[in-house]
Amino acid sequence: MRWPQLTPYILIAPLVLVLLLFVAGPLCAVVAVSFFRYDNFAIIPAFSLDNYLHLATTHLTYSLYLSMIYFSFLTWVFTFLIGFTIAYFLVFHVRNPLIGIGLFLVCTVPFWTSNVIRMISWLPLLGQQGIINRGLMSIGVIDHPFKFLLFSDFSVVVSYVHLFTIFMIVPIFNSMSRIDRALFEASVDAGSSRWQTVFLVVLPLCKSGIVLGSIFVITLVMGDFYVVKVMSGGARASIVSAMADDISTLLFPQAAANAVILMIIVVMMVTLILRIVDVRKELVAQR
Amino acid sequence: MHGAQDRIGRSMAGEGRIELVGLYKRFGDGTVAVNDVSLLIEDGTYCCLLGPSGCGKTTILRMIAGHEMPTVGEIIIGGESVVGKSTRKRGTAMMFQNYALFPHLTVRDNVAFSLRVRGVGKAERYREADRVIEQVQLEALAARLPSQLSGGQQQRVALARAIIMKPRVLLLDEPLSALDEFLRLQMRSELREMQKRLGITFVHVTHTQLEAVAVADQVVVMEKGRIAQKATAHDIYIAPKNSYVARFMGGQNVLRGRLDALSAGFGTVRSAAGQRFRLALDGNSRTLGQDVLFAVRRDRVSLVRANSETQIPDNAVFGTVHEIEFQGTYVKVVVDLAATGNTIEPFVAYVEESAYFSDPIALGEEVIAAWQMAEARLLADFDGAANEA
Amino acid sequence: MQTRSDSRPWTFYALATFFALYVLFLYGPMICIFVLSFQGPQGALSFPMRGLSLHWFEDLISQTDTGDIHGAISRSIPLAIIVMAITVVVSVASGLAFRERFRGSGVIFYAALVSLVAPGYVLGIGIGLMFQLLGLQTDWYTSALGAQLTWTLPFGLLIMFAIFGRFNRAYEEAGRDLGADAGQVLRLVVIPIVLPGMIAVALFGFTLSYDEFARTLQTTGSTNTLPIEIWSMTTNVTSPVIYALGTVTTAFSFAVIIVSLSAIALIQRRRFGHARAGAGH
Repeated sequence: MRWPQLTPYILIAPLVLVLLLFVAGPLCAVVAVSFFRYDNFAIIPAFSLDNYLHLATTHLTYSLYLSMIYFSFLTWVFTFLIGFTIAYFLVFHVRNPLIGIGLFLVCTVPFWTSNVIRMISWLPLLGQQGIINRGLMSIGVIDHPFKFLLFSDFSVVVSYVHLFTIFMIVPIFNSMSRIDRALFEASVDAGSSRWQTVFLVVLPLCKSGIVLGSIFVITLVMGDFYVVKVMSGGARASIVSAMADDISTLLFPQAAANAVILMIIVVMMVTLILRIVDVRKELVAQR
Repeated sequence: MHGAQDRIGRSMAGEGRIELVGLYKRFGDGTVAVNDVSLLIEDGTYCCLLGPSGCGKTTILRMIAGHEMPTVGEIIIGGESVVGKSTRKRGTAMMFQNYALFPHLTVRDNVAFSLRVRGVGKAERYREADRVIEQVQLEALAARLPSQLSGGQQQRVALARAIIMKPRVLLLDEPLSALDEFLRLQMRSELREMQKRLGITFVHVTHTQLEAVAVADQVVVMEKGRIAQKATAHDIYIAPKNSYVARFMGGQNVLRGRLDALSAGFGTVRSAAGQRFRLALDGNSRTLGQDVLFAVRRDRVSLVRANSETQIPDNAVFGTVHEIEFQGTYVKVVVDLAATGNTIEPFVAYVEESAYFSDPIALGEEVIAAWQMAEARLLADFDGAANEA
Repeated sequence: MQTRSDSRPWTFYALATFFALYVLFLYGPMICIFVLSFQGPQGALSFPMRGLSLHWFEDLISQTDTGDIHGAISRSIPLAIIVMAITVVVSVASGLAFRERFRGSGVIFYAALVSLVAPGYVLGIGIGLMFQLLGLQTDWYTSALGAQLTWTLPFGLLIMFAIFGRFNRAYEEAGRDLGADAGQVLRLVVIPIVLPGMIAVALFGFTLSYDEFARTLQTTGSTNTLPIEIWSMTTNVTSPVIYALGTVTTAFSFAVIIVSLSAIALIQRRRFGHARAGAGH
């Protein structure tokens, strides 16, 4: 379409409106409120660093951030390993493209259902009375049910992996399917073993997909609010659940300060990852 | 044939006459795609723009179509200046490379599209579309989608879609590139037939020399945004004006030498290795001592075995057979001109098939390639790497 | 002579097994609660199965102790439809805009990414705070709507980028060549061709909104959407009625998904699936 000069601006206006009203505005509000003071009844507009100081001097802050970074890392490792393998299978081993798409959709469908439900559906599985324990006991592998399966770090990571692996599969699948098969064959021709081909040809060419997936997974875990709490049985909290606690007692400024710190840390993690690849060029094809 | 009916509505003569005046196109990034091109295409003729990729031929086509604006210059169709006018008002229609058939519409809907956007009612536009579909012999496929058609069928749909509006000029952007060799030859003659039947001007862009020569009344050879030569297909092939065209068309050898002697319209040219050539100057003025380029027809060269002692006559070169390629009715023999040791371009002879096989010359043999003076033609330019014979 | 062309390497079987295990991992839990929701009145939150009946589904419908399910659904579905519609329109428009380079396109792109990766709960707080500071009431059809758009729009954008990236502009040029003006080109050429993509965006828009939780929590005002209702149930309901709810809502999601994917498949098949038939000059 030959657009007059003005038209891209008109077309992009609705998006800009939403971004301003519901992203930029709110984030500014959060930043502003993080500097406010509060008493027992209301928040008081001010410019005070009290909230940040409080957060910086509380042991809870550090332990929460460290544990969330720990969970992010674990989740990232597993989602990457599983996601890469699944994508590899779908791209290189499934011959019929229709079946490939079908299987891909099978992996994607749960994404379109409720995360809350998917999370709680682990409860009857992992509990001491749960199906896994019962199964293992009934075939005699163990005498007493495993306690660590539920309400533990294990169940938290399992739930994260269950929910977020799809975010690794999709971008990696996307990058991988763009790899020219001829490169693959050239590598095999040159005598590489399977592993060598994977490490020297496939992995580097999927970089952008891996990076994108990693950004998704890490930000989703860092920003999580209910999985940690529920799957650890309340033993652990997440950064955001601490925020939610603050808010339930109307401590908005403190929650806001926490939110600002979280955003900064997440942005730092993402920029670090983005240094590896220019994501924009990968996502938006322009003339 | 529906020839007479197709000309209804085109009562004025010269409506499809195209004049390009001083066309110049520079793109945003600074590249000059078209550099001072002036061209006259007579109404109802078939014109081919020929050249390698990047020579500007497609840009010119798109400017005539109205999909690009010239930076400088005039485009006049049927006596009216059309720069800035919409495609509808120009009376042009384009057949796109890879056809650009709307994948979501049937053949009939594709063909009727231009009527639909003009607000013509369904019954009437389908009637018109069916009429044109019949002309291209696709009645049986009118309800199919483009994905269900072969390449040749898709091309006919693209053609039907373009001509339904009775344009005065049809623009074809490499229409045969997407087809395989066999189909290409077949569709080529269909295009030529269609042009004669419709009687409108066709402007056809291609990079295939023999294709241009086969279909066109006028061939325009382009190089880097300029016209290298515009002439009939015959003249372009047999009588190229400059070394670029001579080399591009493929039927000629290009040789270089210094003008040693002049007399009564003929010149004697001496190569750096001392070979002597005589050729007609054809009214071109040259001065003594000038470097000249000339072309020798490849199919008018005779080969005889020789050795380094053999006396090389005038209008001949000496060398070693480097390559032999069978081409059906003739054999292509490539001769390495070893004489000076710095060959830039090998010398090629097309030897008639039975003549060759009666006494085949083998690889590595030394030969003298000779020609009649009349088969050598002076070229208009002076530079360009050529044989040092 | 033995043909070995179709034999597969051992890695195929290994990877296929891995894939099957992954699918089991993915769907297993859901199947469990699906099964558990059909327990009889003696049913508990965990195995073993106690009885087989539709008791808990009846319980769900009659709402004896489960909160305001009907109300939540009556908000979630219209909200999802509105979000879906807005997401489709804005994504297509933005996708069209991004085909050209324009001033600020980089900033907007990254802002959309920020919208995607920012913790949903934080955005929710932000919107809630902003509304509070402006003296406005948060409600499901205003602030929650906006909050959900910050989640659905980036997905819609990414999909439309992929679609327009592959879109052959020769179609538009052909349309113009045949006399169509910009509006006709959009309506008769571009949109029909990208329709499958638009359906995909609609699917994302609807399902992501219908299931959205973190962003909506702070912005929904005094009434709940369904995911929030489910969430509060997890904290105070101790019977399988929550599994019944899970089964019902997942079934609904499946229905939406199947309808959308079938529509896309139908369109693609009609346009591209018959390449073999009738070929030949």
